[in-house]
Amino acid sequence: MIEVSGLSKSFGTMKALDDVSFRIGRGEILGFLGPNGAGKSTTMKIITTFLAPDGGTVKVDGIDVLEQPLEVRRRIGYLPENVPLYLDMNIHEYLGFVGSARGLEGARLRERLDWCVEACGLRTEYRKNIGELSKGYRQRTGLAQALIHDPDILILDEPTSGLDPLQILGIRELIRSLAGSKTIIFSTHILQEVSPVTDRVVIINEGRIIADGTVGDLSRGAMGSNRVYVGARADAAAVEAALRSLPAISELRPLPAADGCRFEARAPFSEDLVGAVERLARGGGWQLTELHEAPYSLEDTFIALTRRARGLKEVA
Amino acid sequence: MRSSLVIFRREFAAYFNSPIAYIFIIAFLVLNAGLFMTGFFLNGAADLRAFFGNLPFFLIFFIPAVSMRLWAEDKRLGTFELLMTLPMRTADVMLGKYLAALAFYLVALAGTLTLPIMVGALGNPDHGAIASGYLGAILLGALYLGIGTFTSGLMRDQISAVILGIMSCFLLFILGIPAVAATIDGWVPGLGSLLQNYLGLSGHYEMMLRGVVGAADLAYFLGLTAVFLVLNALWLEGRKY
Repeated sequence: MIEVSGLSKSFGTMKALDDVSFRIGRGEILGFLGPNGAGKSTTMKIITTFLAPDGGTVKVDGIDVLEQPLEVRRRIGYLPENVPLYLDMNIHEYLGFVGSARGLEGARLRERLDWCVEACGLRTEYRKNIGELSKGYRQRTGLAQALIHDPDILILDEPTSGLDPLQILGIRELIRSLAGSKTIIFSTHILQEVSPVTDRVVIINEGRIIADGTVGDLSRGAMGSNRVYVGARADAAAVEAALRSLPAISELRPLPAADGCRFEARAPFSEDLVGAVERLARGGGWQLTELHEAPYSLEDTFIALTRRARGLKEVA
Repeated sequence: MRSSLVIFRREFAAYFNSPIAYIFIIAFLVLNAGLFMTGFFLNGAADLRAFFGNLPFFLIFFIPAVSMRLWAEDKRLGTFELLMTLPMRTADVMLGKYLAALAFYLVALAGTLTLPIMVGALGNPDHGAIASGYLGAILLGALYLGIGTFTSGLMRDQISAVILGIMSCFLLFILGIPAVAATIDGWVPGLGSLLQNYLGLSGHYEMMLRGVVGAADLAYFLGLTAVFLVLNALWLEGRKY
């Protein structure tokens, strides 16, 4: 559906994008992650034909963004980071303008207006001037603008920035409800926003893609080892010695515990550490108070990946 | 064409959505009519030469103020990104905006039609000269608007756009003044007259005041306007790279 390959773009001497490649299939939702200034917006501006790349190609539905930009624009609904609103218009006039500019008219336009207003929860503010709207409503009006022509592809640049938790939840639900029928790329620098909406992430840092995959794959790749917490009511020294005897454990760290002892153990993802510890406890006759894997959060992964990318750069 | 019409409607409405439009029009009418009337009773001539004669200088300030918002405001609001990702060509968006500004100017100019009515009631004016004078005023406004649209596209900020627009219109204006041309001729022989003939607007405009509409004068106004509009579209397209 969208194929980005070898994209590069510089602004003056600043290299914004360097050999960026990824692809998204039809109906997929992609979380586009990265710190501020990593190149998320620039990539999205190139996909939406607002900017042209210095090198590389972007194909949307097999159509090259440089060769047939108007065809690409027809297929895309785009919410830029700075929500593009005419403050002197009310929501009705504004959405009507964007709808007509996208070629809708008559009954079809009215039907789409109704749908967008309902889906984005704009009914109560419909006749208010956009200049008087709160940040949340402005963001939703921007989203409604991107949806007005019922596009197959949605490109949303930081759709939840500046919203309160309840509003974020609303936008998240809207994105989820569009899943399956639309291909969506949304960018964010807030990691918690990705997991509830999608599993597929691309992480960009300093203009380069540093990771592409599911959240699970990425943490496995980035962290190298699995984390298991073990707690037991038994003699700490004996438990530690027994755990150290397990060849799978690459790292063992005692943790403070109120009752008995507690450890954090690391082992390669391929090893069944939980099973091994269970057998050990049964043999040693300790009473386990805790035994579970602790999956890495996207934060851990993100930090490890960006650190690694930085490390690589320093070495180079 | 349909695309341009959608943009035209939004831009034309935008002028009248704010009080600035009415202030503009009132200022335009009061200043023009006032300047004209002060001399009118002294001269005692039933013609509009004085009114049309003031326009080239007066519009240098008025027109860039009308066109300054065309692109600069969109850049400030972020709607520029919306416009440039709509399924329409940059030239269509530009044409819609330009024509909206032109229509706004025509509304203001239409307000001055009280002057020919008054002159017609008081005396026996040359109607042909008045008609060609209005044609000249429209073409002059169209040219200045082309320049103003172009400078608005260059700038992110409306104040810079209006100042650059005023300076550009002023340059075109003074190049047409014989004294200026003679001075330039004094520095580089021939250059001043060359610029006066090809770029200076007074010569072309004054022909129309006298009731003469020549092909060369029409070509000057329409051609130069087109040049600035094409430059504007090219600049906005080029910004992508």
